[in-house]
Order: sequence, then C-alpha cells, then structure tokens
Amino acid sequence: MASALTVLRRLYLSIYNWLVFVGWFQVLFLALKALKESGHEHVYNAVEKPLLLAQSAAVMEILHGLIGLVRSPVSSTLPQIGSRLYLTWGILWSFPEIRTHILVTSLVISWAITEIIRYSFFGMKEAFGFAPSWHLWLRYSTFLVLYPTGISSEVGLIYFALPYIKASEKYCFRMPNKWNFSFDYFYAAILALGIYVPGSPHLYRYMLGQRKRALSKSKKE
Amino acid sequence: MKVTLVSRSGREFINGGLELPDSATVADLQEAIYKRTKKFYPSRQRLTVPVPPGSKERPVVLNYKKSLKDYFDEKQNKLTVVFKDLGPQVSYSTLFFFEYLGPLILYPIFYYFPMYKFFGYGEDRVIHPVQTYAVYYWCFHYLKRIMETFFVHRFSHATSPLSNVFRNCAYYWLFGSYIAYYVNHPLYTPVGDLQMKIGFGFGLVCQLSNLYCHIILKNLRNPDGSGGYQIPHGFLFNIVTCANYTTEIYQWLGFNIATQTVAGYVFLIVATSIMTNWALTKHRRLKKLFDGNEGRPKYPRRWVILPPFL
Repeated sequence: MASALTVLRRLYLSIYNWLVFVGWFQVLFLALKALKESGHEHVYNAVEKPLLLAQSAAVMEILHGLIGLVRSPVSSTLPQIGSRLYLTWGILWSFPEIRTHILVTSLVISWAITEIIRYSFFGMKEAFGFAPSWHLWLRYSTFLVLYPTGISSEVGLIYFALPYIKASEKYCFRMPNKWNFSFDYFYAAILALGIYVPGSPHLYRYMLGQRKRALSKSKKE
Repeated sequence: MKVTLVSRSGREFINGGLELPDSATVADLQEAIYKRTKKFYPSRQRLTVPVPPGSKERPVVLNYKKSLKDYFDEKQNKLTVVFKDLGPQVSYSTLFFFEYLGPLILYPIFYYFPMYKFFGYGEDRVIHPVQTYAVYYWCFHYLKRIMETFFVHRFSHATSPLSNVFRNCAYYWLFGSYIAYYVNHPLYTPVGDLQMKIGFGFGLVCQLSNLYCHIILKNLRNPDGSGGYQIPHGFLFNIVTCANYTTEIYQWLGFNIATQTVAGYVFLIVATSIMTNWALTKHRRLKKLFDGNEGRPKYPRRWVILPPFL
C-alpha cells in the first residue's frame, strides 16, 4: 500500500525530473538550431538561459541524496555536479571570451544528450513505475561516447580559458591580510585540470561497473 | 598435520596443502607458506578461520603465537585456513618516518631559502619573531614525532600496506608545504605579541602532555609486541579515552593561535576530523570489549576525544 508520503515523493520527483528534462531538451534544440543557422560561435548565447537554469537545478539532487529522497550516494553526485557547475558558472558565465570556442558546442551537446536520457529515465520510473529496456540501455551506454567527448570539452575549455582567467584577476584574494590567506583563481583552475587526470578514469570505471550491474540485472528479470 | 589452504573464493591456494608437525604454531605455518610461495612473507598474509557461507560473522584471524591445534576442527578432522594477500607491506616505523620527514625538511626550506622569488615576489623580506618561533615549534613537533616513532610507540600491527606510504606522505607533505608557504610569506601579517605567546605557550604545554600520553599508552602494552587492548588510565586518560589525540589537536590550535593562517586552520579541521573518526572507533571497540560481563571490567563513562563536545 502506497502511503501518502510515498505518493508525495513520487509526485515531487516526477515533476522535478520532467521539468529539468524539458530544460535540457531546450538546450539541445536551441544549440542545434543556432549551429545550423549561425555557426558554433553563437551556440552559447542561444542556450545560456535554459543551460544556467537546468544545470543549477541539479543542486537539488545533492539535497535529495542528503535527506534520503533518492538512493544515490552524495559522494558520487557531488563531484559530478561540482564539475558541471564549475564549467557553467566558473568558466563559461565568468569569462565571455571563451563562449565562442567550438568546444562549447561539443560540451553543450554531450551534456544535453546525457541529461535528456537521464532525466527522462528517472521521470519515467517515478511517474510510471518502470522504464523500457531500450531506455535503460541508452542510459547506461551513451556515456561510453559522451563521457569522453564531454570531459575532453570540459578540459579543453578550462585550458583555453586560462589566459583570460590570468589577465582578469577575477575571484582572486591577495595578501597581505590579517588571516594570511590568499586565493588565486588561475592556480585553482590548473589544480582543477590536475584533478581530471585521476578523476576521469575513476569516474569512467565506476560507470562501467554500474553498466555491468544494471544491464545484467535487467537480463535476469 | 595437514593444513589445507584456500583463497577467499574457495579455490585451493596451495595444491595439496602443507604438512606441518602437530606441535606447530601459526607462525610456523606462516613461515611454511612463505617458503613455498617465495612471494608472500608473513606480514603480507592474512590467515582466517573459514566462516560458513552466508554467515555474517567476521572471520577470526589466526594469532601467530597460538598453536595450530587450537584451530583444528575436531568435527571435520582437518584444518582449513583461508589466505588473503594484504599486498606489499611496510613497517609502521618506516611509514611514520617518511611521513614526518617531509614536513621537517620542507617547512624550513620556506623559512631559510628565498623560495618566494619563484612565486613572483622580490627577494627582500622582513622576518618577524613569530615566524622564527614558528619554525622552531614546527620542527620540534616533527622531531618529537620521529623520536616517538622509534623510541616510544608500541604498534598493534607491525606493518601497513605500501599504498599508505603514498597517501600519507601526500597528506603530510602537501599540507606542510601549504602552511609553510603562508607562515613564511614576505607579506605575512603577524598577530599581537600576547596572542603569539599564549598560542605557543599553550601549544608547548599540549605537546609535552601529548608526549606523556604516548608514554602512558606505551606502558599499557607488553614489550614483547603482542599488542592487545587495556583500559587506559592515568593523567588525562581518566576523563577522555583518546587523550593523546586531544592534546595533539589542542597543540595545533596553539600553533594556529600564534601564527593565524587560514591554511593552518584548514589543516587543524581536517586533522581533527580524521582523529575523531579514529577516536570513535577506538572508544566503541573498548566499550564493546570491556562490557562488564564474565569478569571483565566495565569501561567507565568518559569523553571520547574533545570534552565538552564529544
């Protein structure tokens, strides 16, 4: 018997997932439209609003994990969302000079396709209680291509933004001050690039494991 | 007697098993495994009594001093031992020595050598008294740790996995450099004189208390290296289980009060959370072991690590 709380939870999660799905669908649609009509330099401007909204909404998922609304461990959602927010707000929104780079197109398309599949998958499960096996297959297979393309775009964009980061001195906190603290956004960006080196193979291997578990489980059913 | 050795998946680990005299000890078995496999020296071996499949019990680890007869299964009339390779091992003294060597050498480099020209600062620099006291305090701390490693501590296990060397050295060496960079910086802003004296004074008292705590812990254990657990008592241990961690945390607090850097406080927070984790495990283990049943003493009510918080 479904209790009132379970129904509320499913209702909330269905609405959440389908709403964010619509956001990412818009991103993909507008990106492809801009690419065809104006060229890759104009993709960011076309997708900016739905991109910022849909990506920032993902912060809710950390909350969902913390309060136990969903099963995903916070430890795996946090780095994923962290890197997405860093690219969206910390690189693309903060440094307009990078927005015309062609890697923005590959980034946005990789992210959008992945998220469209993912959010609709969860939307289906919460709203209807099941998702067709081809959907499951898509969710656990497209990452095989989209993670490399997405991660390469992320790394490339951070790298090409470095000169703009250094020149602008944005988000820097300098010495002297009474707390003897300093922060240099340029060096932080280099550190971020460094994290991708062990982080990407680790994440990819984790997804491969998830894929094996999910697809073999569905075969048994 | 014949000893059958299996891996955790159930496969026979040494074909045909090993033949040992009836009076043999577990240590003899470890030697025999090493002789046969040539690769797995005793500290790499984890030998356990097999648990029935599906059982949730934690497997019993064979004690190297006991004789094999103690683990012989009378009902099945055989001795089966489960083998696990713990990977390359390093002695705790070696691990600690290299972890502490980093901060001991790297920090003074930032104090004595013109490092900051590599960060774009000029070579001239005014050295404040607090920076000088800080380098002495820091080096005293890590020298003390190295001395304790060789002359005071009695470890419950002789070795630690090799991978811990990389992980632990990264932690100490990176944090050491991070803090050293800020305390010795040409644009460093010192705190007032009184605050500095309070910080270092308090820190020093805590360091000496910490040394005394380590000596008390050492005397709890048998010199023959058999490890084991006793209820700690004496000095601060009467009110807090992990008084050694308490004094260590407060000692770093003293250093930070005197030197006032965000880097130092970040380190303090990380170190405190790591030690709190250890303290909770130890406190729970002692409470479970000393439950007051069957003649065992009952573990008294005590703070875990940081009165009045935990």
